[in-house]
Amino acid sequence: MAEILISLAKIIVIVFVFVMGLASLMTLLGDRKQSARIQNRLGPSRANFFGQSLFGLPHFIADGIKMLLKENIVPAQSNKLLHTIAPALVFMPALIGWAVIPFMDHYCTGTVEVIMPGDGYGVDHYTEVCRGGEWKNYFSIMHMNSGVLFAFAIAAVSVYGAAIAGWASNSKFSLIGGLRSTAQMISYEVAMGLSLAGALVIYGTLNINEMVRMQGHLLGDWLPMWGIVVQPLAFFLFLLAGLAETKRAPFDLPEGESEIVAGYITEYSSMKFAMMQLAEYAATVFIAALVTVVFLGGWQFPFVYADGFRIFDIHTTFGLSEDVWYWVSIFLRIGAMVFKILVLVWLQFMMRWTLPRFRYDQVMTLGWKILLPLSIANLFITALVLTIL
Amino acid sequence: MGEVNVKKVNRIKPSLWEKSYIPEIIRGLSVTAKHFFGNLSPRESRRQIFTRAYPDEGTDYYPERFRGLHRLMLREDGQVRCVACMCCSTICPADCIHIEAGEHDDPNIEKYPDVFVIDELRCIVCGLCVEACPCDAIRMDTGVHIPPYTERDDAFFERDLLMQLGGLSEAKQGGNTKAAAE
Amino acid sequence: MPKVTINDTEIEVEKGTTILKAAAQAGYEVPHFCYHPALSIPANCRMCLVEVEGAPDLEPACYSEVSDGMVVKTKSQRVVKAQKAVLEFILLNHPVDCAICDQAGECKLQDYYVAYDAQESRLRAEKNQKVKAFPIGPDVIYDGERCILCTRCIRFCDEITGTNELRLVQRGDSAEIRTFPGKELDNDYSVCTVDICPVGALTQRDFRFKCRVWLLKSTDSICTGCANGCNIHLDHFRNEIQRYKPRYNPEVNDWWMCDEGRLTYKQVHEDRLLHPTSNGVRVNWHGVTETAADKLGDAVADDGADSFGFVISPQASCEDLYLAKQFVEQTLQVDNLYLGGKPDGYEDDFLIKADKNPNRQGVAAVFGGLDQFDDFDQLIDDIESGEITSLYMMETDVPADDETRERFVEAVDQLDLFVLQSMHNGPFAEKAHLALPACSHAESEGTFVNVNGISQPFEKAFEPHGDSLPHWQIFMRFAAAMDTPFSYTFIHQIQDQMFQATEADEPEDVTQTPAE
Repeated sequence: MAEILISLAKIIVIVFVFVMGLASLMTLLGDRKQSARIQNRLGPSRANFFGQSLFGLPHFIADGIKMLLKENIVPAQSNKLLHTIAPALVFMPALIGWAVIPFMDHYCTGTVEVIMPGDGYGVDHYTEVCRGGEWKNYFSIMHMNSGVLFAFAIAAVSVYGAAIAGWASNSKFSLIGGLRSTAQMISYEVAMGLSLAGALVIYGTLNINEMVRMQGHLLGDWLPMWGIVVQPLAFFLFLLAGLAETKRAPFDLPEGESEIVAGYITEYSSMKFAMMQLAEYAATVFIAALVTVVFLGGWQFPFVYADGFRIFDIHTTFGLSEDVWYWVSIFLRIGAMVFKILVLVWLQFMMRWTLPRFRYDQVMTLGWKILLPLSIANLFITALVLTIL
Repeated sequence: MGEVNVKKVNRIKPSLWEKSYIPEIIRGLSVTAKHFFGNLSPRESRRQIFTRAYPDEGTDYYPERFRGLHRLMLREDGQVRCVACMCCSTICPADCIHIEAGEHDDPNIEKYPDVFVIDELRCIVCGLCVEACPCDAIRMDTGVHIPPYTERDDAFFERDLLMQLGGLSEAKQGGNTKAAAE
Repeated sequence: MPKVTINDTEIEVEKGTTILKAAAQAGYEVPHFCYHPALSIPANCRMCLVEVEGAPDLEPACYSEVSDGMVVKTKSQRVVKAQKAVLEFILLNHPVDCAICDQAGECKLQDYYVAYDAQESRLRAEKNQKVKAFPIGPDVIYDGERCILCTRCIRFCDEITGTNELRLVQRGDSAEIRTFPGKELDNDYSVCTVDICPVGALTQRDFRFKCRVWLLKSTDSICTGCANGCNIHLDHFRNEIQRYKPRYNPEVNDWWMCDEGRLTYKQVHEDRLLHPTSNGVRVNWHGVTETAADKLGDAVADDGADSFGFVISPQASCEDLYLAKQFVEQTLQVDNLYLGGKPDGYEDDFLIKADKNPNRQGVAAVFGGLDQFDDFDQLIDDIESGEITSLYMMETDVPADDETRERFVEAVDQLDLFVLQSMHNGPFAEKAHLALPACSHAESEGTFVNVNGISQPFEKAFEPHGDSLPHWQIFMRFAAAMDTPFSYTFIHQIQDQMFQATEADEPEDVTQTPAE
């Protein structure tokens, strides 16, 4: 019973508070406010609570109410069933993937003991073990040994939503949008998976939490072994492919306004439209989370470990007791995870408002002729180097 | 086949470094980021935002020949100067002026606008109606910005309302009347 | 045939041709106010002065006939100077109140000023005052200050109508057009004086201040006022007819049309049936087509073809009638045909005809004569005796006096099925089980055959009002719904077949309009 309650609490906090809160806030702040600032504008500021515009925050509620109250228009000649379930098919994968994203290491009910190489336990690296208790999974919804595969499998499913939405709307713009989105997502998934493979070869695990733990290792006692350090090329490839996966500028061809109205979203209105939009933002956050856990050390706060602050030979808890420091490290680590995700999201929006849209053949060229060969080369070289070492 | 003129265009061959786009993307990002952080700055002088929260704030720098709400000018006896020649409604690119001409009791006036309605929401404030008017009967020099309306009906300015905004014109009207000759 | 040289163009013209016409043939415009091709030539405006080599003075081109070897210059220095002088002279006392003048936009003085004068006024003295807005007749209003005294209107009343109402009174700069004391300009063609008035001195009371002429769009059409079928310019603005103006056709109406006919445009906008109704409830075309197909089919099947009456209207175009005929013969398969339309009225020996329906000859041509139509009184009798229980009626006009009309309106109540397909509501729309809005001649194209058997096409001016459709399209819909679809899509397909079937001549091109 308690397990279920904890799971529910985790789902609510992560999915509804963090992801949905972030995603819907971003529709306002990230997209509208940020773009306004970039373009020397104020952005939304007219909606207010009792005369206070609160940086435009009420717009997010006003938009929500507006979306809910708008008429739900279903085109006469559309396939009504598919037209109705398509937003859900787009929306759900963007949320399900969060099941395997850890926001912190497992919680130790006993005391955390750190074993260093040379302590006689035969470990190669700094390792944390839990004495007098067990590791409890409180900070990710699901502990899964094949977490990366799960995340990718789910991300790939969202192609169906877009394709079905495009087809079911029975509109040419929608269909073109759906086809573009399908082609684009499938193309970039290949490069994305292969660039990730390089990182997986190094970590040797598909368990995301294990991967993040390994990124806490220090190279030469000062350089955290984050994915970006050991796999710099893969990081760029993954980030690019991830941008393309979220269908946002400069890869927003599936909904290129100037060409095909709004692509596969054209025939949607009301809350279904809002779901389509939210799914896009949720996907943006999800890609940011994936990049974070694989390449940016996940919840790792540099040099902050469960038993104290470590760099070179220095090891200090700044005068705090071990228990207190453990709690401090928990908050620092959660904060680090959230901060990294936010920075990546911010970067994605900056990209969006900086770069113009690609031409479709350029998108395909980039995906198949540049990203794919580079990621294959990256995988081979990584494997070769590892074999030689 | 006729002679074909060929113009050689020198295409720029980008180097591999340029072709990777990465430095250019970073340059672009630095421009947008400069604006972004600059406009977040607490110091007013570093912000470049020029948005004005009209009508909450209002403006203070209307130019001298600013075009605002229309007004209909008056004759000396307080009647409308307009003779319903329809020049303004003909030239209006937004088609926002509706005039119905009527026969006036005064034989010196003959034709006058029985109905004169301007849809200020449709008006694009181009000022062509003022240019077209042969009688100096319509002006846009009230200095009042066309306010935002929530009801469409509020934006229909009818003749009497437009005349209230109006005033006497210095130009002579009535052409051949005896009064003008004296 | 004399050969003349006009501005270096050598041209051979017939003997007796005036310089003005010869110049027009050579492609040169000679400006003129008083000359009108249908009227006598007084040569009083002096606008058409041209230089003839060898002649001491400039000669009026409208009056002087060409002679062999004549060399004419219409654009020489002397001519230009004379034109400017004449225009300045005419404009001396002209009020230049173009802003309130209805003629502005189609005014010869305005056009010629821009084309031939375009100089500022040198007049510093006060202008002459004359009568303004004077009702010279019931339909015409005169403005003395704008008048340039070309006397076209006087000559029209003398030579065309022969009623001699107008005269020039006073002399010099106080001259004005007036009627004889106790008379007014009230002949049946008085508004034609407005048409031929080159300036805004005469204006039509109905069109006065209604619409600026530059906003009007003009469509070639036919007047539906009587069987004469006068050719008209149908001038419309924003889907509303503003006026009819006669269109030159020497075989039908020459330059003219009657005052009554001019006002028939009002029928297009009055009392219109705009939406199909079924038992008084507004429905859409899709619904009413299904209902009509069921009801018509049942009426013919249950009560037999003998109890079904069909009223054909001579107000409808030949295309409408051609499909009506097919609808009656092939789809309904009934043969009780009656002829509707307006009753006869006033006629004269010029343009006004007694038959007030524009297309009675068209009915005869399409149906092969008028013999198969029963008397309308017979229809009323049949309805009252119960022999006719279903009636399909085109248009609301009843060719009978008011009393008989009342009788018919009451008799309609006895019908089991009354389908009205009409432009107007009339007294019938609310009684009709199915009321189908048809559109006017302004909203569709078609052909009328006039009283002399001349078939004349008219064009579509604007989109149909409300939900109304042309008669032929309504028949097409019903025929398709009753499983006997016609194989037409466009009206020209009907026309092709119709002209073949009736062996009528295709409408001729209207003769080219000579310079006014």
